Amino acid sequence: MNTTSTTLEPALEFLARTLTTAEAAFNKLPGSAVIQRYVKSSHQNDPGRTILELILLIFAIRTLLQSRTRADKNYISFSDKEVDELVDEWTPEPLGQALSPQEQADLAAVPVISGPNGPRPKIASTGKTAVNLASFNFTGLSGSEEIKERAVEILRKYGLGSCGPPGFYGTLDVHMQLERDIADFLGTEASILYSQGFSTISSVIPAFCKRGDIIVADRGVNFAIQKGIQISRSTVRWFDHNDLKSLEEVLESVEKERKKRRGPLTRRFIVTEGVFEKDGAMVDLPKLIDIKFKHKYRLVLDESISFGTVGRTGRGLTELYNVPASKVDMLVGSVANGLNSCGGFCAGSQIVVNHQRINGLSFVFSASMPALLSVAASEGINILRNTPSILATLHENIQVTHAILDRVDCISIPSHPASPIIHIYIKNSKSSLHPSAAITMPVSNKPSNPTSILPKDAASWDWDIPTEEKLLQDVVDEALAQGVLVTKARRLRGQEMVEARPSIRLALTSALTKKETEKAVNVVKHALVKVLGKRR
Amino acid sequence: MSSTPQPSSPMALSKPSFLRKRKSQSLATTMPSAASYLSALSQADARARSHHHPHVRSPSSTPALSISSSLTASSDETAFNEDDDNTDGLSLPARPPTSEQVFSTVHTEFGHCADGRYRLTSAHVAGTEVPAHVEHDPPYYILFSTYISYLILICLGHVRDFVGKRFYPSAYTHLIPKDGYAPLNSDFDSFYTRRLKTRLDECFSQPTTGVAGRTIVLLDRASPDYNHTQYFTGNRTRALNISSYNYLGFAQARGGCADAVEESIKRYGISTCGTRLAGGTSDLHSIGEALVAKFVGMEDALISSMGFATNSTFIPALVGKGCLVISDELNHASIRFGVRLSGANVRMFKHNDMKSLESLLREVISQGQPKTHRPWKKILLIVEGLYSMEGTMVNLPAVMELKKKYKFYLFVDEAHSIGALGPNGRGVADYFGINPRSIDILMGTFTKSFGAAGGYIAGNKQLIDRMRLHGHAGAYAESMTPAVLTQVIASMASIMGLALPPMLPSSSATTLRLSSANSTSMEEEYSHPGPVPPTALPSWLTLPPALASGAEGSNRLRRLAFNSRYLHNGLDKLGFITYGHPSSPIVPLLLFNPGKMNMFHRMMKDRQTPIVVVVVAYPATPLVTSRVRFCVSAAHTKEDVDTVLRACDEIGDILDLKHGVKKSERWGVDEICERAVEIAGM
Repeated sequence: MNTTSTTLEPALEFLARTLTTAEAAFNKLPGSAVIQRYVKSSHQNDPGRTILELILLIFAIRTLLQSRTRADKNYISFSDKEVDELVDEWTPEPLGQALSPQEQADLAAVPVISGPNGPRPKIASTGKTAVNLASFNFTGLSGSEEIKERAVEILRKYGLGSCGPPGFYGTLDVHMQLERDIADFLGTEASILYSQGFSTISSVIPAFCKRGDIIVADRGVNFAIQKGIQISRSTVRWFDHNDLKSLEEVLESVEKERKKRRGPLTRRFIVTEGVFEKDGAMVDLPKLIDIKFKHKYRLVLDESISFGTVGRTGRGLTELYNVPASKVDMLVGSVANGLNSCGGFCAGSQIVVNHQRINGLSFVFSASMPALLSVAASEGINILRNTPSILATLHENIQVTHAILDRVDCISIPSHPASPIIHIYIKNSKSSLHPSAAITMPVSNKPSNPTSILPKDAASWDWDIPTEEKLLQDVVDEALAQGVLVTKARRLRGQEMVEARPSIRLALTSALTKKETEKAVNVVKHALVKVLGKRR
Repeated sequence: MSSTPQPSSPMALSKPSFLRKRKSQSLATTMPSAASYLSALSQADARARSHHHPHVRSPSSTPALSISSSLTASSDETAFNEDDDNTDGLSLPARPPTSEQVFSTVHTEFGHCADGRYRLTSAHVAGTEVPAHVEHDPPYYILFSTYISYLILICLGHVRDFVGKRFYPSAYTHLIPKDGYAPLNSDFDSFYTRRLKTRLDECFSQPTTGVAGRTIVLLDRASPDYNHTQYFTGNRTRALNISSYNYLGFAQARGGCADAVEESIKRYGISTCGTRLAGGTSDLHSIGEALVAKFVGMEDALISSMGFATNSTFIPALVGKGCLVISDELNHASIRFGVRLSGANVRMFKHNDMKSLESLLREVISQGQPKTHRPWKKILLIVEGLYSMEGTMVNLPAVMELKKKYKFYLFVDEAHSIGALGPNGRGVADYFGINPRSIDILMGTFTKSFGAAGGYIAGNKQLIDRMRLHGHAGAYAESMTPAVLTQVIASMASIMGLALPPMLPSSSATTLRLSSANSTSMEEEYSHPGPVPPTALPSWLTLPPALASGAEGSNRLRRLAFNSRYLHNGLDKLGFITYGHPSSPIVPLLLFNPGKMNMFHRMMKDRQTPIVVVVVAYPATPLVTSRVRFCVSAAHTKEDVDTVLRACDEIGDILDLKHGVKKSERWGVDEICERAVEIAGM
């Protein structure tokens, strides 16, 4: 007893001393009196409250400490040795699987062009020239000597690369000029340039559409749009491909849903294409614009194929249907496809464009396009403006092609008569192709599920992708042997949201005369009949 | 320049430009504070308006222009006449060339520097530590005032919004719901842009013209309404360009590369018309890809027409569900974009911190996939060779050690390091002397060191073939244009140098036989990192001897290495806080206070020799560490770096930026310029 008290004494004394010093220090602190008074009075009024506050304080400290530890209940803790064993045990899959023989054949079939590309390029593998119905040279600008001369002139003033993103000394006067040229050409307030056509729309969509916003998109949109939608994390509803009635139904159901949930007003967008990359179908723009205004949606229209190819001077769908381009909120087009240069643009109001200068990911984080390519595009616009005969030739060639191919009965053509790309499907009435084709699925009248990209009739799709791809490749090879370069529509099988039907994609050009086009398309026709006829 | 008329506002004539440059040099030297600087600036403005401003300093000496064949002042086609007076000291070299020195470049594009002392080799010294990313902290009052500044800006912004919405509703219509449309941009989302970034807009998106080489020509602009709108004054300013990603100085409108590009435009036209898989592949693509593979030392390579898209379209083809991507926290937006598209899980580790990386690796491998605990299909580590905002170099030797132990795949983004690092310019692997083939994927861009555009991805043949078919770009994105490809091929070949043709015997019959035999054997004989066999280049491409021999390429590499280390170490010695590896051509100088960004930018631009700089702030950097980022180029001469150092020294005193070392340990700027060689070698 005595011994414990003697040993405890200094400890107690020390404790008392520290307590007094702590108290003195606390009293010295400015504002300590207030705290003291508060604690005292609150304790006097309600002792229970002190306990409650103490518990709260402990709880707060505990939470603070806990946030550093793992919230994941699934976490298993291992000893170092166990981790080492697990590390030794783990064998990863190879980074890239070897290509299958079919894929290798696909890669080997890619045509390599030796020298300049144009209406009659030289194919590297054969050393012979072929008539080109594969490359995007719709208005024949790739052969223009004027553009080449201007490009060399610009090269000597600006060098090649811009060596910087637009924000940091990468904005050249020629870029601003092209942006103005495009805006003037289309009739919008402004436009913004991206340095790759493919990356344009996949940046434009996430620049505006955020989590919680609503995107209503066509089921047949191209891969770049799919990627843009994916990265935006917005709520997506799909409408049947190129079916504006289905669009209205979906818009109504979205509105109904919102009213039911009493959700706040969010940004709403309709995303679709002018001429669809997947099949060459064309949207009915005036009707689409009516719908968009009626339901108060903003319209994102991808004119990557139609800009520079459709309309009297190539201004795209807005010219064809005589709709002011300012009615389209975000008009996206490809400088690479339409003007034979590189890059893409988004035209719209000043607000829309300026917003992208800060929020368009691939605008902000990428170097601006080389000056000479920008000027080449400006020259391209000049040429289109001043020579409507180019587009007239192109449209004539499209008509001729349709006239020839419409008479072939083993194929079907989903493309619009004004589309510069013409897709060719193998007609699906052949039961020999795939056994499931024999069973015709009854198509119900119920609308497709808007949350899924697959339409209601997806179950009845009867094409067998590998077989058709192989047949079409035979057609391509046969046509090339006869001196006409065509290509299958290349797809990323397994990565697309919905598998596109295999097709041959013809890209027409005004660089060929009507006669030449006729001759070339006839070669394609014979190849089709020869290869597909054998299957019968 | 008739093609690109600038809309010059009539206001430009009547309103005094508060951004007048080329004030007398004596002005800046005696400035004790920023406020007095500004008032002195306006006084100088008034003086300049009242009488014609005389040239402060005439060129110190007239170079022997007529004797030497060097293109000192730029010729009429490339330059803009108002700059010919050399008041800014940019058009003529500080030291006139002697009669035996022949420069083939335009001095404003690529500086003339013949002094062999100002050269270094960029290589890691074996056995030394790779410097980790060290964040020097500024004094507390700087941190405190930075936070206060932001607080004031935010409060002011909210007050202005509050008042503005009530009194000037018309200015806010695009931010509030209208006619049943939600605003494109809510006032909350755009708060930072409207209320903070607008104040700095003067520093961003400055339009330029001409070559972004050693100097750059700015189209002067001004704002009558606090940056809400900007108009062009119609004037142009030539400024020293320490901002563009022009590491090896290949941004040139003259010279062997530009000649090659001209030839290719004549031969190939502008475009190859289409995607790589569907009628847009040209023989130039094949040549370019084979050359890139040789350059980086991999089996095969694939070229993409845009640098950002190289990451965003190829990463999804590498990894997918069930895979894990381990990503450095400061990786570029394009990497994040690609990873998000891929659907793989992502974990981040602390910037360039190998301990953090290892503990993360141990955790993820032992835990496996979330919830199911199944082992990961594959783990891909994505790092950058050189980080664009910090200038840090990845600790590749340590990563390689970890790779051996933890069996992850390694993806190195060499957007900034390719061409800029290593004794042979082959990037970060070359710098550390690591065999590139031990890395799985090397990605890089052509925008920076090669003066072109686009990017590449390199790896083994099987993998690259897979990318050709399954990467998004092959099927859907336009292919690279011939002009850009040629710039890549020509600049790359001139860095590598051409292998000398073998000794030819006299008999023509044997020559033919031998040369054909040699062409195949030389393909195989290429040893990394050696010269390129001439057969690997397009047959029509001829490079001038200086480029073909590789002498100029190696000269550029060594000039860049010297300039980088000189500027970096020089700024350190002056007392500034800098980030990054001393050998990195990216040199960030820390400013901290947001208000200093504007000031620094403007004071650099308003000097007698105008200098353009890039200032970056939140959200590209953490909130407090606003910085200015210098990008050194081989095109800069030692005197150019002196100019930058002197400017920083003066402005650093005015803006109170020197917080790196104690006053007693700092060096004077004259001493630094004098002992440049010694400093660079430190």
